[in-house]
Amino acid sequence: MSGIGESDQIARAAGGDRAAQAALVNRNMPIVFRVAYRMLQDQAEAEDVTQETFLRAWKQLPDWQPKAKFSTWACTVALNLCRDRLRKKKPVLMDELPERVDTALRPEEALASRQGVEGIAEKIAALPERQREALTLCALEGMSNIEAAAAMDVGVRALESLLARARRSLRASLSAQMEGD
Amino acid sequence: MTVTGMTHERLLELIAAYGAEPMGWPEDERDAARALLSADPGAYSQALTEARAVDAVLSLEDVPEPSAALTESILAAAPSVPQSRTGLLSGLAALMFPQGVRWPAGAALASLAMGLVGGYAYASTGIGYDQADSAYYSAFGFDSGDAWISLE
Repeated sequence: MSGIGESDQIARAAGGDRAAQAALVNRNMPIVFRVAYRMLQDQAEAEDVTQETFLRAWKQLPDWQPKAKFSTWACTVALNLCRDRLRKKKPVLMDELPERVDTALRPEEALASRQGVEGIAEKIAALPERQREALTLCALEGMSNIEAAAAMDVGVRALESLLARARRSLRASLSAQMEGD
Repeated sequence: MTVTGMTHERLLELIAAYGAEPMGWPEDERDAARALLSADPGAYSQALTEARAVDAVLSLEDVPEPSAALTESILAAAPSVPQSRTGLLSGLAALMFPQGVRWPAGAALASLAMGLVGGYAYASTGIGYDQADSAYYSAFGFDSGDAWISLE
């Protein structure tokens, strides 16, 4: 929901309307959590980031300007919080690392087992940070290219470059597995 | 705005970035891209095959559900009263009318009611113009207005 409907809901939420607050959380919290989880690969940390994102939202609501959808704004905040945490964990910038190729799992196995699903998550997690962000927002959460670019604070062309590189890395990973067997 | 011109290179870029499924392509370029794809599907078959392999892998990606306690804790921190800001005028109004800006209007209404009740009470006592005049003249030591006039 966007435009007048979302603005009205945000205004009511800022005014203490519990139903509007619950609706805002129920609609937007899952995507914020999933984005945070894919970036951090840790349930507790993803929940911390999600909670912090909404704490900031509650403070922001009285001054809310409907320039973007709430979900886009929330994902921007969540991504920034994730980046802060990742930098504290790893002093080396993720984008400077070479793209890794994981050959631990056959594609056939990936299709057949829970372990395969976890292997896919590992492949996505192994992507450089910005590529992972782009893939998460566009391919996994279905955001439009304009929304995803806004959430990442990049241009659409830059987003497309990140997406293409992420897909190329995943495809190389799958090909390497098949050739290795 | 819908893009009408689509090139071979741009369609390959769309497939490489957004995958094989047209619904994932940018909305403003989708129709033109579909038209070009339909016109020469063989030119894009390899790119689409490669993209579909990645799409299939991504479709298997799974993320755990957030805990129920997360929703509760987020809502527990939500504002319970309006977070209005105090501007210069509203601050001044608060100083002048600590009971709220509706108070002056209530006071004016009360004054009007008191005037109406007082006027009615005055009329109902039967004290007319003559009695009032007598009281006035007697205050100056005259019996009536006529005695006052005779002096003039």
